[in-house]
Amino acid sequence: MAESKLSPLQWWTEELFLEEEYRDTAAVVSSAGHHRRLSLSPRVVKEKGYLDEQFCQVEDLQDEASPNFVEEVVTLFFKDSGRLMSNIEQALIGASRMKNECMSFRDSCGQGNVEGCMRSFQKVKREHAILRQKLESYFQLLRQAGPAGAATRPVM
Amino acid sequence: MAHRKMMRVLLVEDEEINRLELAQVVARAALKAAAGGGDDDLVLDEAENGAAAVQRVRDAATAAAAPYDLILMDKQMPVMDGHEATRRIRGMGVTTPIVAVSSDGLPADVEAFVAAGADDFTSKPLSKEKLGDILAKFRLA
Repeated sequence: MAESKLSPLQWWTEELFLEEEYRDTAAVVSSAGHHRRLSLSPRVVKEKGYLDEQFCQVEDLQDEASPNFVEEVVTLFFKDSGRLMSNIEQALIGASRMKNECMSFRDSCGQGNVEGCMRSFQKVKREHAILRQKLESYFQLLRQAGPAGAATRPVM
Repeated sequence: MAHRKMMRVLLVEDEEINRLELAQVVARAALKAAAGGGDDDLVLDEAENGAAAVQRVRDAATAAAAPYDLILMDKQMPVMDGHEATRRIRGMGVTTPIVAVSSDGLPADVEAFVAAGADDFTSKPLSKEKLGDILAKFRLA
């Protein structure tokens, strides 16, 4: 079997999906270089649930005029999804900060510390505003994700 | 030299990844039409939000450039969403077919788009087959 140089995406794909149980079905050609030619069934990839039919449709759009089309789409996907996950993570962190400020406010009240109460209450208000903004962004992202990820906008 | 007709399509979509896929689907459909003896060249314009789309349509209507033959319109976009952009385009008297392309496929969403002036609705992702149906419906292929 002739050795074939793989694109970075192909090499990554096969490294990710080749597992011990499927090695018998793969034809491995050892080479002097770091590339391997593997005969990997698309059925295997879908059966493992990593990719679905939509990925095949994206692959189908790749042609000679756009030889790196699949890789461009995948790169954009990870760039966008990484940013979205970071936004969600930051929104969740905000809830902890507001809780902490509420606890400080409660402590100051319990101590009869009026000045402390005023300071803490201002911080509570600030964290409340930040949290509201982040959660609004969070739910907007969910709505953008489509019906599967849709959520009812909370009454704030 | 045979005269080739120009097909102008406007893609209105805020997410770059979706614009990339939409553009490729439309370009492949145009190539297929050309290979099958069609006589259309494709001009593909993109807008990242509804406001930019309205401006593009306005520019096409007032300048020497030919109007768009088809507008593919997303729903959720910053600055101006697809519903409002559709309403404003129709308000300019533009009759170009507008097809909503959205992941929100609930009946209420479809009705809202139609009420705004869209001619059709299709769900994401836009496949070659769905686009073929759209082009055939509006006699663009």
